[in-house]
Amino acid sequence: MLDTQKIFLQQINDNKGIIHKVAKMYMDNTLDQEDLFQEIVMQLWKAYPSFKGTSKFSTWMYRVALNTAILFFKKDNKKVDKVSLNEQVEIADHNDSHEKEEKIAYLYKAVQELNQIEKALIFLFLENQSHREIAQNLGISEVNARVKLNRTKEKLQQIIKKNSYGF
Amino acid sequence: MDFDKIKDEWNNGDTDSSNEITAKELKVKEAQTPIDRIRRQMKHEFKYQILSLVILAFVPKLFHLSPQLYTTYLVFYGIVVAFCTHYFYKFYTFYKHSYDLSLDSRKNLFWFYYEMKLNIELYKALNYIVAFIMLSFCATVFFLTKDDLMKKVLERISIIYIALNAFVTILIIGLITEFWARFYYGKHIKKLKTVIDSLDEE
Repeated sequence: MLDTQKIFLQQINDNKGIIHKVAKMYMDNTLDQEDLFQEIVMQLWKAYPSFKGTSKFSTWMYRVALNTAILFFKKDNKKVDKVSLNEQVEIADHNDSHEKEEKIAYLYKAVQELNQIEKALIFLFLENQSHREIAQNLGISEVNARVKLNRTKEKLQQIIKKNSYGF
Repeated sequence: MDFDKIKDEWNNGDTDSSNEITAKELKVKEAQTPIDRIRRQMKHEFKYQILSLVILAFVPKLFHLSPQLYTTYLVFYGIVVAFCTHYFYKFYTFYKHSYDLSLDSRKNLFWFYYEMKLNIELYKALNYIVAFIMLSFCATVFFLTKDDLMKKVLERISIIYIALNAFVTILIIGLITEFWARFYYGKHIKKLKTVIDSLDEE
């Protein structure tokens, strides 16, 4: 194995939680989440030569992962989607016994009703990024990021209320 | 609903990161972003165009062209190859740069959207140019071939008819190119535009 590849795998494994979270945030069933996860890993590898090390690896990874997720579209196979979505609900009902995990599972369900950009805003907010950092990652003004994030939070609250997700 | 509490739970929760990512996962199958689909399409078209150029190189042998026509054909073929090389280089540069997704989302989307639009226009222009060169060659063959059949045809048809024919042919090629570009790239461009619009909403 090449040295570059080794270093890359080491770095990506240290930060793979980010990719898992992005995949869950953007896709509503296990199969699509796996596809998106794989896609992000591949895009990160292809974009790796552009990583100059001037910023933290995780910062660069947020950008590439989110840009990939924003542009990712599911396979046009509704049958597959339906089956795996039911499976996922079952898993969530039986395994997520802890209240905390249940809340996060419902949060993932609720964000599925948001658009690609709103998902990115909520994701970056949950990842403790400031308005400034969110604005830098998405390429919008800080004021716009603040306004958009507040609107998205309101929208998310309404979705949670509408679906009685129990927050 | 307390977002700060959710944020804490989010950051302390299980991220399902048990499996190690291996080198195997760096070589992947079918990609699913519009950018990848466009890249894949570009790759296919590049192969077909190279194949067409190779086939075109054998035309003089296949149709047993006369030495005079053979020289004329080589001149036209040389022009087509020169134009194709220029455009292929431009497409290749775009293709290579499209792998860099490390810009901010807005710049990344805008860059790809406008570069793609520009490349579609270049693609259309290339098709027009190649069609025009082919048509010019056909016209040259038509006038250079001095056999009886050609003489009879030339006597019977007017120059306006020939000009109209050339115009309609170019028009049909233009329409096919337009349809082709919209069919293969249009829907992906539309998806990109939808995402850009949602980013720009105030």
